[in-house]
Amino acid sequence: AEICITSMDNYPLYIRSIPTQGELKFHYTVHTSLDVVEEKISGVGKALADQRELYLGLLYPTEDYKVYGYVTNSKVKFVIVVDSSNTSLRDNEIRSMFRKLHNSFTDVMCNPFYNPGDPIQSKAFDSIVSTMMVQAC
Amino acid sequence: MAQCVQSVQEFIQDSFVPMVAVLCSEDAERVTRKNSLSFPELLRPFCRLTSEGHLRDPNNQVVVVKGLRISVTGINTRPPQTPEMHRLLSQAVSVCQPPEGSPANVITAGDYDLNISDRTVKASVPWYSDWKETLTQLSSSKYYTATTPWFETYRENFLQSMPASEHEFLNHYLACMLVVSSCEAVPTEQFLKLSQEQHRIQHSGEYTHPKWFIPNTLKYYVLLHDISEGDEQRADSVYEDMKQRYGTQGCYLLKINSRSGSTGADEQMPDPWSQYLHKTSIHNPVKSAVSNAVENNIDGPLVFADDNETHPLQLDQPTDAGYPSNNASQSVNNVDMTRPQKQASVTSHTTPTPRGTCLTLNDHDHIRQFIQEFTFRGLLPHIEKNIRQLNDQLVSRKGLSRSLFSATKKLFGGGKVPEKSIAELKNTAGLLYPSEAPELQIRKMADLCFLVQHYELAYNCYHTAKKDFLSDQAMLYAAGALEMAAVAAFLQSGAPRPYPAHYMDTAIQTYRDVCKNMLLAERCCLLSAEILKSQTKYSDAATLLIKMTSEDSDLRSALLLEQAAHCFINMRGPMVRKFAFHMILAGHRFSKAGQKRHALRCYCQALQVYKGKGWALAEDHINFTIGRQSFTLRQPDNAVAAFRHILINDSKQSAVQQTAFLREYLYVYKVRNTHRLLLRLTGMYSTSCIMEALTLFSTGEKQAATHVSLDQEFDRDLSPLWRELEERVVAVVNRGAVPITFQPSQCCLNSQTDNLRYPLAVVEEPIIVEVVFRNPLKIPLALSALCLLWKFTPKDFSDPQGNTAGETITNEKASLKETMALNDIIDTQVIPEFTISPEETKVARLKLLPHKTGELHVLGVVYNLGTGEVDNSEGSLAEDLMCVRGQQNLEIQGPRLNMTKEEKTSVTYGPDHRLDPIITPLMPLLEVFFINFPTGLLCGEIRKAWVEFVNVSAVPLTGLRVASTHPEFFTFGSAASDLTPCILLLIHLFSFCILRN
Repeated sequence: AEICITSMDNYPLYIRSIPTQGELKFHYTVHTSLDVVEEKISGVGKALADQRELYLGLLYPTEDYKVYGYVTNSKVKFVIVVDSSNTSLRDNEIRSMFRKLHNSFTDVMCNPFYNPGDPIQSKAFDSIVSTMMVQAC
Repeated sequence: MAQCVQSVQEFIQDSFVPMVAVLCSEDAERVTRKNSLSFPELLRPFCRLTSEGHLRDPNNQVVVVKGLRISVTGINTRPPQTPEMHRLLSQAVSVCQPPEGSPANVITAGDYDLNISDRTVKASVPWYSDWKETLTQLSSSKYYTATTPWFETYRENFLQSMPASEHEFLNHYLACMLVVSSCEAVPTEQFLKLSQEQHRIQHSGEYTHPKWFIPNTLKYYVLLHDISEGDEQRADSVYEDMKQRYGTQGCYLLKINSRSGSTGADEQMPDPWSQYLHKTSIHNPVKSAVSNAVENNIDGPLVFADDNETHPLQLDQPTDAGYPSNNASQSVNNVDMTRPQKQASVTSHTTPTPRGTCLTLNDHDHIRQFIQEFTFRGLLPHIEKNIRQLNDQLVSRKGLSRSLFSATKKLFGGGKVPEKSIAELKNTAGLLYPSEAPELQIRKMADLCFLVQHYELAYNCYHTAKKDFLSDQAMLYAAGALEMAAVAAFLQSGAPRPYPAHYMDTAIQTYRDVCKNMLLAERCCLLSAEILKSQTKYSDAATLLIKMTSEDSDLRSALLLEQAAHCFINMRGPMVRKFAFHMILAGHRFSKAGQKRHALRCYCQALQVYKGKGWALAEDHINFTIGRQSFTLRQPDNAVAAFRHILINDSKQSAVQQTAFLREYLYVYKVRNTHRLLLRLTGMYSTSCIMEALTLFSTGEKQAATHVSLDQEFDRDLSPLWRELEERVVAVVNRGAVPITFQPSQCCLNSQTDNLRYPLAVVEEPIIVEVVFRNPLKIPLALSALCLLWKFTPKDFSDPQGNTAGETITNEKASLKETMALNDIIDTQVIPEFTISPEETKVARLKLLPHKTGELHVLGVVYNLGTGEVDNSEGSLAEDLMCVRGQQNLEIQGPRLNMTKEEKTSVTYGPDHRLDPIITPLMPLLEVFFINFPTGLLCGEIRKAWVEFVNVSAVPLTGLRVASTHPEFFTFGSAASDLTPCILLLIHLFSFCILRN
């Protein structure tokens, strides 16, 4: 499973994946999925602006993984990749995971010493992500 | 999918063309051989008709045939075997490379500018000549301007090498040309012989190949007349005779070879064969001996000379039972078993011998006329007749039997057996019909209509055929009908119905899953993707192409993936990242297929998307692959650049990975074997430089009286203090006035000091440069033989003009011997070993000792770089292997200027001369030590301290003076008798501050 956060301009802010040996593959997956995210944003842009639905749902399923996406109002993208075999995670769980992730991301942003656009280096954030990863795997 | 040079319609029409076989007599073959061409090859450039043809369909409507192309091949031509075909296709693809250095093609997609370098067709159209057309083209094709010629080559070769299949008739022979030379003893007899031969091949059942469209194949009798040799009147009379016998529409007298030999060879003649024959050698490997000989002739006359005369028409492959071959007759000649070996050795093309040397432009016209005559008088009426016949059959069958049959079929239930095929074998693809089964008649008619561009009727027939086949569960046939129905529907002008993409999908699926015929599935996929592309349904096309990739063929998968990538970028909202990802996949498959150049190109294109976006792992992976591929392709410069990229950035790779990268890099670099390279592994971020550095140490109670030290931080508060003090001393010496030229002396320069002036250094006094190295990697680095690089211009300052007294010299490219000599001018200290631990920042102090006066410029540092894990047991050998010479230039940016308005509004930097000292002649050098200098004092306490002045220089020192900010704290004791009364001393001590507090 992997959790990734990218900035407005699709620079990665935070990437974390377990197990680590397949990291490159995860990175490629996430990077490619950004196209789908962008397509979804531009496609629904106006219609959904009022509803403030940030969760994009399943971006696309591959043979081994499911890729979910989430976009904040400032166009920061969250992507979660989980094993296809993992059936315990349904849409609602993923949604709440994203919400949790968003909250802690907001906390990071509130840190006056954090420079927006820099990679996230925060112990609190790390630990939250770690607990989510445990849940996801 | 990338833009193709051909339009879709053209492409599809050219994929399915009427096939014509050629059976040649020996003498006729000899006539064409004069031009180093076989008869089919001779005709090939003229096989596209320029004028329109007409025929009437069964409803007596006129059908216009435009731009028809026919395919003329030798009767014993057969498609290559599968491994052979793979080899040829891969060869075709590897030959076709994007031209290097062509104008780059930039596709702007979102915030990405992609540089897709290949041939641009549009750009080559002169703007003024066709401005309107160009404009519309440009506006309609906003995105897709990238072409991929290798893909088109592949596709063309692939389609042409498709083996003829049972379930369709499109590439079965429609007609056969029988060619006899006029110089034959009895041409008519020869015609009879060839005709029998053709009949035997088609009907005897001995051969499963070639396949024939209709039982009564059109025979077209061609009398070939060699103008330079033969008797023209005799030829004419034979032709008259032929006309009587075969009718005016069934024979032709072709006169060629008006020019005898190479008499007028100097005349410039267009060579229409060049583009065709080059291809021929690729996609028509099984040639008659003649074309084979042509190829041999191209490559070297020695192979050509021996047997072309004796075997004008021979197979160059071992006999295959299915194909007509040797033992039959003279015209289909002996198999030469030695041939394959020769063939194998013939691979590379040298300069080709000119083809068609005996042909004048008139002859070209003759051939063109001949093809037109053949097509319009022979082939089209033949097709028209057959369509009518088939139509009549079908109508009669439909009227009565159709309903009857279906009724009986329903009656008998499950046994869905087509008539006459009870004994047919059933395979996985469903049943097989015999070649003349009534079910196939409608398919035949459809194919005929398709070939003569009557797409509406063709579509209707295909559609009906499809239903029949499906009800019979003949899956292969049904898939074929579906495929062609879709194509026909697309090609119908005016488009009465939308393109049925689902037909194609079903066809592909059936071909692949039910029939296990990847070739057909691939063909279907190529057609469908091209059609979808033309309808800007890029996403569908991409899905289709990606689905077609599989494990069994890397080359195909690579090409299709690449096309899919192009589809992604051509979408209305370009999907750049998907493009990049599929490019990488394509690159991977290319490299598996051995197409290194294409692989490299794919990776390079993908890199544009990943570059500098923070996706470090992916970027590293691409760079690493590019590095490897470039290296194997002997582009070491690119390889080094790519590898450097991996190491230069703050790499997120593990230490093990980094070690591997570094090793690879060093190896590549070593092989590259040049000495000039900037190795920016180590980030240098500050340089301090000490002039006339005093090598003083505090030993015991002796304390060096200096504030100049490398270890000391620059103190912004103190420096004006020192400056003021110095100014006062100078004022006193000059009797109250500070000279205008006064400059405070600075001994230690760093980024915070004022470095506008060239610092002064003294000959025979060391200059120390401090360079900070940082190791960004997670592995230790061992630098060895670290020393400074400099440039020196000797000058004699005693000469009032200050003329240059010598050439500028540098140690930049000095060999070992020269270095020794250079050490006499400027002694360069070499640090033998300098290890930097992982992610460490370490300072290196490098010393120069000038022996001559002049202007010195410190340029940079050089070092040997190793992996830092060379153990001592292996000794210097291993070190030699894994060490490269690196160079790091020291480029110092001066302070940002912020004085004038102009400077404030723009970013400009001032000069920085701290590394450009001027070496002055010898000066006195004073060393001062305090002895027993107190570190702490009580209020009102008086202590005695000694000061020791030593002049270490050879030049005498006079006029020593002592200045102090607080003169009231000092007094010279009685032992000052040996001090001269007038002493200039600049003692600048930070201990003063302590005293004051």
